[in-house]
Amino acid sequence: MRRWLRQHRYAISVAVRRLLAQPFSSLANLLVISLTLTVPILGAAILITAQPVARQLSVSPEMTVFLSPGADAKAGAELAQRLKAEHGNDIATISVVGRDEALKKLRSNPNWTQALAALPSNPLPDAVIVTLHDHPDLARHADNLATQWRRLPQVDLVQHDSAWVQRLEAILSFARIGLLLLAIGVALVVLATVFNTVRMQALTQREEIGVARLVGATESFVRRPFLYLGALTGLTAGLAAIVLAYLALMPLNAALMRLARSYGTELTLRLPDAASLLLAVVVVAILGALSARWSVTRNTRF
Amino acid sequence: MKKQALSSSSQRFMGSLDTILRQDSITNHALPQGSRFHPAMIEFQHVFKSYGRSRNILSDINFRVEPGEFIFVSGPSGAGKSTLLKLIGGLEPASRGSISVNNQRIDKMPSRARPYLRRAVGIILQDTHLLYDRNAIDNVLLPLKVIGLETGVAATRARAAIEKVGLSGKEDMNPIELSGGEQQRLAIARAIVNRPAILIVDEPTANLDQDTARRIMDVFRDFNRVGVTTLIASHDRQLMAAYASRTFSIDHGKFIDSKGVAA
Repeated sequence: MRRWLRQHRYAISVAVRRLLAQPFSSLANLLVISLTLTVPILGAAILITAQPVARQLSVSPEMTVFLSPGADAKAGAELAQRLKAEHGNDIATISVVGRDEALKKLRSNPNWTQALAALPSNPLPDAVIVTLHDHPDLARHADNLATQWRRLPQVDLVQHDSAWVQRLEAILSFARIGLLLLAIGVALVVLATVFNTVRMQALTQREEIGVARLVGATESFVRRPFLYLGALTGLTAGLAAIVLAYLALMPLNAALMRLARSYGTELTLRLPDAASLLLAVVVVAILGALSARWSVTRNTRF
Repeated sequence: MKKQALSSSSQRFMGSLDTILRQDSITNHALPQGSRFHPAMIEFQHVFKSYGRSRNILSDINFRVEPGEFIFVSGPSGAGKSTLLKLIGGLEPASRGSISVNNQRIDKMPSRARPYLRRAVGIILQDTHLLYDRNAIDNVLLPLKVIGLETGVAATRARAAIEKVGLSGKEDMNPIELSGGEQQRLAIARAIVNRPAILIVDEPTANLDQDTARRIMDVFRDFNRVGVTTLIASHDRQLMAAYASRTFSIDHGKFIDSKGVAA
């Protein structure tokens, strides 16, 4: 066991020595891999920031059922009772907003005061506001309910926001697939870069490999420093990519915050959680080691 | 008588070589010569070697080397001396025939087992193959790193090996700073640091002046005296006359063993 550990310690020291022996070349490789890795990390940051926004909208859709302008005063309360009786399982909350109450609310908004003053009478209808319970396919479910409720007497219009939530979900789904393809592309870049680095190293270390074999080195002994080289390259590039993504998010968030504030909201892009980032770094390190193994096996057959 | 002489010279040599070549590791293979009832250190039976479809470089080679022998392999350039040594070291496979080294059939040995054989065979090729990206002691340490020896023990053994070949004080020098003879001695130190049972050496004195050549040969002789079976390829007849107890001559595929066994 101690012998095994000593051999691994030696392999790591050789890998580090080889990385440091050609600092500019090593740095260039690390830069290529880390910059490439930064792109999907930033993509993931955008996705994980957008996802809860969409989820929040889709899990509690508010549906507004507007009654016909000629509907009598009790119609709103009767409709609310009917909806509760027929769709009680789907409805979380239900409330009736009378036309006078709606006008009062609208008048409290200074932007509308002048326009409303010019109107001879209250143009607003009575409305029933319904909030639905969570559902696996809430957007579609809300659509179905809206279709049914439109057919009810004295109902003029059913307004709900599932259409654009569906659109946002579709966009996010597209972005997720795009991110997956991007991750595959990045994995290929890591494989190719490490493969080439190890190929060059194997050619440079041809003499050392030959001598090591001459004095009884096994193929594992010969390959081990290259595997560590690949893994170290992946590990360092992964960590550098996280730092780069973090640095890139600073100006992006500053700009995004200004935009979000103009819409009266707060929005900031944030990196994936530490566990996900750690997993990504480990995956990149493993990819580096695998690529190195492939390369060293191909390029040390002499 | 011969064993007695071997033993007394061994003790003298071991006085300074204690760290690198321990008594037990040497006596394990320093068996009495001439007996047919113990395994040979090296045995070739009907060995042929050719490259591709070209003619045989070595043709039907048969010999048996007992533990502790000192043998010269002679012949003109291109005769196949180096090839013969490479076959013994398992660096190249035979085209046909059986080869036993250190009681192991290397012609039937899977490639993954060959490194372990090479640890028992010290190989010094014509080109010393020293590594110029590290100093002398790190060159000698490489075989010990390969077997995963503890750093302190490895350093002691490497220094002892360097001392044995007369390079004390030059441990931290880059091989490129050493003379041809010193480089050759450094290659010897690297080959013997793992306490090999067999030493195979290809043209160790080529390009060296007579004095340096003799000093190098004395180092091999000293190792042989403590039981290391030694085979040296050379075409220097003077050296052979001064040191050899047995000679293999190879010329145009013909193999002649001075011991009287001709193929």
